Amino acid sequence: MNQINNALTLFFSLLVEAIPFLLLGVLFSSALLLFVDERRLIQLVPKNPLLAALVGSLIGFLFPVCECGNVPVARRLIVQGAPGAMAIGFLLAAPTVNPIVFWATWTAFRDQPELVFLRVGCSLLIATIIGWVFSTQADLRPLMQPSIARAMPVPLEKPAKGKSKNQDSTATLLQSGTFMLGQKEQPFRLDGNPAAAALTANPALEKPLPDRLRLMMDNMIQELRELGGILILGSAVAAIVQIAVPREVVLGLGQGQISSIVAMMVLACVVSICSTVDSFFALSFASTFTTGSLLAFLIFGPMIDLKNIALLLSVFRTRAIVYLFLLAGQMTFLAALLVNLYIG
Amino acid sequence: MTTSAKPIAPRFLWLQPLLDVLAILAWGVLLLKYWLTGKVNVLLHPGYIWLVYCAGFFLLSLGLYKLGQFLWQMRRSNRLRPTAMPAHFSLFPAGWSSGLLLAVALFGLQFTPQPFASDVALNRGVTDTLTMTRSQPQAFRGNTRPEDRSIVDWVRTLNVYPEPDAYAGQKASVEGFTIHLPSLPDSYLMISRFVITCCAADVYPVGLPVKLSGSRSTYPADEWFRVEGQMITETIDNKRQLVIQAERLQSIPKPENPYDY
Repeated sequence: MNQINNALTLFFSLLVEAIPFLLLGVLFSSALLLFVDERRLIQLVPKNPLLAALVGSLIGFLFPVCECGNVPVARRLIVQGAPGAMAIGFLLAAPTVNPIVFWATWTAFRDQPELVFLRVGCSLLIATIIGWVFSTQADLRPLMQPSIARAMPVPLEKPAKGKSKNQDSTATLLQSGTFMLGQKEQPFRLDGNPAAAALTANPALEKPLPDRLRLMMDNMIQELRELGGILILGSAVAAIVQIAVPREVVLGLGQGQISSIVAMMVLACVVSICSTVDSFFALSFASTFTTGSLLAFLIFGPMIDLKNIALLLSVFRTRAIVYLFLLAGQMTFLAALLVNLYIG
Repeated sequence: MTTSAKPIAPRFLWLQPLLDVLAILAWGVLLLKYWLTGKVNVLLHPGYIWLVYCAGFFLLSLGLYKLGQFLWQMRRSNRLRPTAMPAHFSLFPAGWSSGLLLAVALFGLQFTPQPFASDVALNRGVTDTLTMTRSQPQAFRGNTRPEDRSIVDWVRTLNVYPEPDAYAGQKASVEGFTIHLPSLPDSYLMISRFVITCCAADVYPVGLPVKLSGSRSTYPADEWFRVEGQMITETIDNKRQLVIQAERLQSIPKPENPYDY
């Protein structure tokens, strides 16, 4: 009976600490989704793939979204012709490299500040490298789901400086499909997946302010509902592991340099907890698991997890997700191992 | 994977927004209840309590606003239209997630969080040292009088200068709850406190062994005491450590805020 009481206290403690941060994340992501036009952002991205990947990874500071909010934004970026390096960098780094996640991680680990900085630094590094790797594939369309690939502009054969804007519009016009003319900037496409077509531009930006505010409110509730459900499941897992699994088992797994990292990465993948609140989940393992493994959890979880894979499948083909998964997994493991061996 | 654009039978269209509103209101009420009843002290470090009541008020206002909107729409058109949202992908079937949120919040309203007791301390391993994986001390005050040090102060002092002999003969007066460690002889008990840095997930116990004149059965586990005595050095479990030679154990009420910082 006492065990159940302890598990419940732990469960509610995690929830009560995490919900304010979840609320803040949802508030920001809803506001920015409805008030920021990412087309302007794409125009500012540098042409160099490495720099584009770095800029993409840093956009999280403008779009504090967690890993559920970032997939729709990344999808819009890709469809609107953002360089692959930028979109991939954003997809992987935005859930971690943003002010709300930084604050939440700081709250949880303020006694181990190195973990907070390592989390942000390593995520930035890994996302930039993976973005750069993907930039070697000039045409991302073979890696995309057909509906997204159809909506993407055709990449230029030889991108020439100064002419790109002109050629872009030519490329859009030369796509096959059904279009509606008479729109402000470019013809509106009617065929293809309606959901993907609706995402070519942020639909909310066209609406008057009161409508946008109402949409923002609705979006908040939708995200709160979705992420809150996962937070509850994640907190339940954390509470049960802490109370029900014997300490010797947890310690045996958590004190091994390698076993602890693997265990935490698997846990990150399965639990799928939102990046704004995952530091509180990790905190419940702080006394039993190695620092490197906590870092691996905090880096890998926001990049790839079960919930995220479901979302990513709406954009990428399986092959691309396998590449992302393997690259991110290997680099996270390496970073965590280095921390365990030389810092932790 | 489903999308929220998945068609719901029109006669159930009102159910989803109602569940959402109720879940949000329930969570707002729950957060404010924990704050107003002081139970939030059991769950969180005091530094983060403002986050809880801010979130509580925000959720309550959001819930009330949506409730008003819901009732107004129901009266006006007798049925709801789906909002024109940007397509949103979700993992759970519609209604499942809000149902879970509502159920947990309602359960939380019934449930009173209890501070952890000696069983958790035994499971997490009560020590007089702060191990490497534990958080590091935030402040260290070396100039306090020995009898003013709390258990946590003693442990932090020991952590900085771990030679037990350096403290032998000093006066001690500490408050905490009792733990009967199986590894200690019958005339010893552990006087302990939980330390919290963020929330109950990271609380860890620290404690000092107390040498009694008789059996520890006079002082049951999980009772709160003020222990007054003198520091001595003893070898227990093949380890030389600092022990309080008790002169007086006075029963004290369980404090409102069970943790130390």
